[in-house]
Amino acid sequence: MRFLIVDDSSTMRRIIINTLNKLGHQDVAEAGNGREGLDRLTAGPVDLIITDWNMPEMSGIDFIRTVRSMPAIKDTPVLMITTNAAKDDIVEALKAGVNSYMVKPFTPDIMKEKIEAVLAR
Amino acid sequence: MSPAVTIDTLFIDELIAATRDVFKKMVFQDVKASLPILGDAKRPKANVMGTVAFAGKTSGLVVFYSSMDAAQIITASMLETDPGHITGELADAIGELTNMIAGSFRTRVAHAKGEMWAISVPTVTVGSDFYTKYCSDVQRVLCPFHMKNKAELFVELIVTRSAAQ
Repeated sequence: MRFLIVDDSSTMRRIIINTLNKLGHQDVAEAGNGREGLDRLTAGPVDLIITDWNMPEMSGIDFIRTVRSMPAIKDTPVLMITTNAAKDDIVEALKAGVNSYMVKPFTPDIMKEKIEAVLAR
Repeated sequence: MSPAVTIDTLFIDELIAATRDVFKKMVFQDVKASLPILGDAKRPKANVMGTVAFAGKTSGLVVFYSSMDAAQIITASMLETDPGHITGELADAIGELTNMIAGSFRTRVAHAKGEMWAISVPTVTVGSDFYTKYCSDVQRVLCPFHMKNKAELFVELIVTRSAAQ
């Protein structure tokens, strides 16, 4: 199973990769913002996108909207990880096409639950 | 002369809870909180300072302070690597740590008081012999914490006086 992590923080990308590795997932690609994420996706499909919200160049929300508009990748499951935890934020993310939403800080158990729930859809 | 105003104790409690939660989940260690210090009677000795601003009905700053050694230990723990291998990652890690503390604090206050705030991207200052001066129209509370190795950390809440009233 191949994952794509889109986050401008190299620390957060490393934390997510370490967590995925602990959960048995080794095939992980990285991108520093939405635009780089799109470049990675055009190079090859992934099974799950994990993205931040607030990023330079292209935000997580704009990135997801673009993914959902591209026929070849529009059905890729997306999990958003962010500190934006207000109800309005979650509604906006879901409207943009996020499949599930996880608030920082998180534990490996929470991430496991979220990934399983997204992939089970 | 401005009337004496104190920061809502709920803010202090939620900031301490947010900090402890972030350390437990993302730094993989518990931190012990000491009694908060109101005002600017104590200035933390720090080589690393992370700052996130927030704005809404209440406006201000959340500021994280630590020594360079403590910041390296925190960064290494977040990245699950050896502190001796930490070089360029420190600023990004402390920025992300401060961002999570401020974001979690904002969420907790939103749940408790219904206040919605916007928060800024984090900024990180690394160096020595620096002093940050704020305008006089603020209230501040400094929350000390201790890590397992006894290293002292601080998280400060700075609230504009007009918002505090």
